[in-house]
Amino acid sequence: MKPPILIIITSTIILGTMIVLFSSHWLMIWIGFEMNMLAIIPILMKKFNPRATEASTKYFLTQATASMLLMLGIIINLLHSGHWTISMIPNPIASTVITIALAMKLGLSPFHFWVPEVTQGVPLSSGMVLLTWQKIAPLSVLYQISPSINPNLLVAMAATSVLVGGWGGLNQTQLRKILAYSSITHMGWMAAIMVYNPTLMILNLTIYIMMTLGTFMLFMYNLSTTTLSLSHTWNKLPLIASLILALMLSLGGLPPLSGFIPKWMIIQELTKNDMIVMPMFMATTALLNLYFYMRLAYATALTMFPSANNTKMKWQFESMKKMIFLPPLIVASTMLLPLTPMLSIMD
Amino acid sequence: MAWVHRFLNGAYIFRHYPKPSASCPFLGTRFAYYCSSSLQKPEAAPGKTSCQRNSEGDLQGHHQKEVVLDITSPEEKPEVSFDKAIKDEIMDHFRRLKDDIVNHWIGPEGRPLHEVLLEQAKVVWQFRGKEDLDKWVVTSDKIIGGRSEVFLKMGKNNQSALLYGTLSSEAPKDGESGRSGYCAMISRIPRGPFERKRSYDWSQFNTLYLRVRGDGRPWMVNIRGDTDLIQRKNQMYSYFMFTRGGPYWQEVKIPFSKFFFSNQGRIRDAQYPLLLDKISSIGFTLADKVDGPFFLEIDFIGVFTDPAHTEEFAYENSPELNPRLFK
Repeated sequence: MKPPILIIITSTIILGTMIVLFSSHWLMIWIGFEMNMLAIIPILMKKFNPRATEASTKYFLTQATASMLLMLGIIINLLHSGHWTISMIPNPIASTVITIALAMKLGLSPFHFWVPEVTQGVPLSSGMVLLTWQKIAPLSVLYQISPSINPNLLVAMAATSVLVGGWGGLNQTQLRKILAYSSITHMGWMAAIMVYNPTLMILNLTIYIMMTLGTFMLFMYNLSTTTLSLSHTWNKLPLIASLILALMLSLGGLPPLSGFIPKWMIIQELTKNDMIVMPMFMATTALLNLYFYMRLAYATALTMFPSANNTKMKWQFESMKKMIFLPPLIVASTMLLPLTPMLSIMD
Repeated sequence: MAWVHRFLNGAYIFRHYPKPSASCPFLGTRFAYYCSSSLQKPEAAPGKTSCQRNSEGDLQGHHQKEVVLDITSPEEKPEVSFDKAIKDEIMDHFRRLKDDIVNHWIGPEGRPLHEVLLEQAKVVWQFRGKEDLDKWVVTSDKIIGGRSEVFLKMGKNNQSALLYGTLSSEAPKDGESGRSGYCAMISRIPRGPFERKRSYDWSQFNTLYLRVRGDGRPWMVNIRGDTDLIQRKNQMYSYFMFTRGGPYWQEVKIPFSKFFFSNQGRIRDAQYPLLLDKISSIGFTLADKVDGPFFLEIDFIGVFTDPAHTEEFAYENSPELNPRLFK
């Protein structure tokens, strides 16, 4: 894509999300979502192949449906409250419809079916934007309306998302699909805590974005999209293999890595609110996620898969890719646990 | 020869294809299925095949099983029980769903992950019995009013499949078709429980391997990807397969990087590489404008990783023909 066009499209994506974040008028929020959705379509179609076209079409259809539902919820809210300001939503129907619309945008179960298909069909860089930046706007709206969301609905969606994300990612050999199911699981964790402590949801989102960005950047550095190509990292870039190990364990939520922070805080907060079964269920299903992250880490860093001799010479060639943000992202994704008491500044 | 042995005898190689769909005699559903999809109409009639059989007698030698369709002879009347058929169909779907869930726990495609990842060669389709023929559909221009005929049957000793027929390039007299003359054999799309569409994941392989014996005619191998929204019938990736016509078997290796993209039957200027993670079906087409009989004997179709093949995509896009791709 030519640089001026890329700049315009990227700035529209950023502007769309900023409009959603900074607006207090429901219509402006809806406009921000639409701008965001329309601007990301060319990003998803960076490589012109039929698969990318199909993925963009699926993304557009689901997001347009979610926007329609959002508009329906906004109008019902307007009918009952008489104002366009984003605040408490007194009408339960409006609140439910808006929650469902935002769940579709996020990819929460049972509206998660588009996430693996779209993520698999687009290039790695587009998938990175899809799974990180595109989550900010819907979660910010959910944060603002969290007191008026039906907790049963959100907890049910959270429980199914965690289960679907863990179960669905079990047998994937395609890395983008693994990260898509990982995204569904993390959205489930965020949805579970949203009603009780929205600040922890922001904390979870921040750490999730850092870990996912780091993972995608490592895969882009390696140009690997399947587990098998990732398993050949040891002879290309051995340092990357160890970083992938650390990031996978962090994504799985193992202490002493950063990924443990949100899980610990969320389980603690849910337990403080007299919920025992839900955090137990979520912690157990997180093991499914941990299983496929460990499998990736095992294939990459802990074993050497058989490979043909001509793939063993790649260490001689220096990689010319520049990933400036990779070192700080790796540090942030793995070493933030000792700073947990300080994270109360997010309140 | 070594490749053939490697394919058929190796520990990682031989895998049974998953069970085909239930062959319950629920004619209503099957009839509707056949009618609703034009490409899925199989071709044969017992009378015509017997003539063909005589002409092919020197090739085969003895009685062969045909691909029998909805036509049954008057003597045998199959027992049609609506309730039993519905019950069998539902039980079969739930059984497949249970197998699906258990296989999901074991690994991709029901095999442990390390087996799937370490696999370097795989036989995807082979012809050893009638149930293997049920996974394929044959079609020709008879659908649009042409005169080509195509049949599929098991070969000698049930070790191969024989695709044979007559090609006729006489255009149908419908006032709009100017050209005609094609015959094709297409694999059925793999289905899971409740007829969910499945696809093949060949992303760790890079070459298609075919063991065929033809009659010297040029065939085209077509691969279709799995798409939900974009019309599946319109887009495919193709490459040529030139058969030698001799009595010896021919091993054809076509790297996936050589397949070119076509939409609605026309090769497009903008070419895209074949993405191997969602393959829906493979097909063989004969359309060489030469009227007359043809045959193609297929032993098996497999995929493997050729370590010497490093090409990613054989075609490049030109800025003059496709400025849109270079913006």
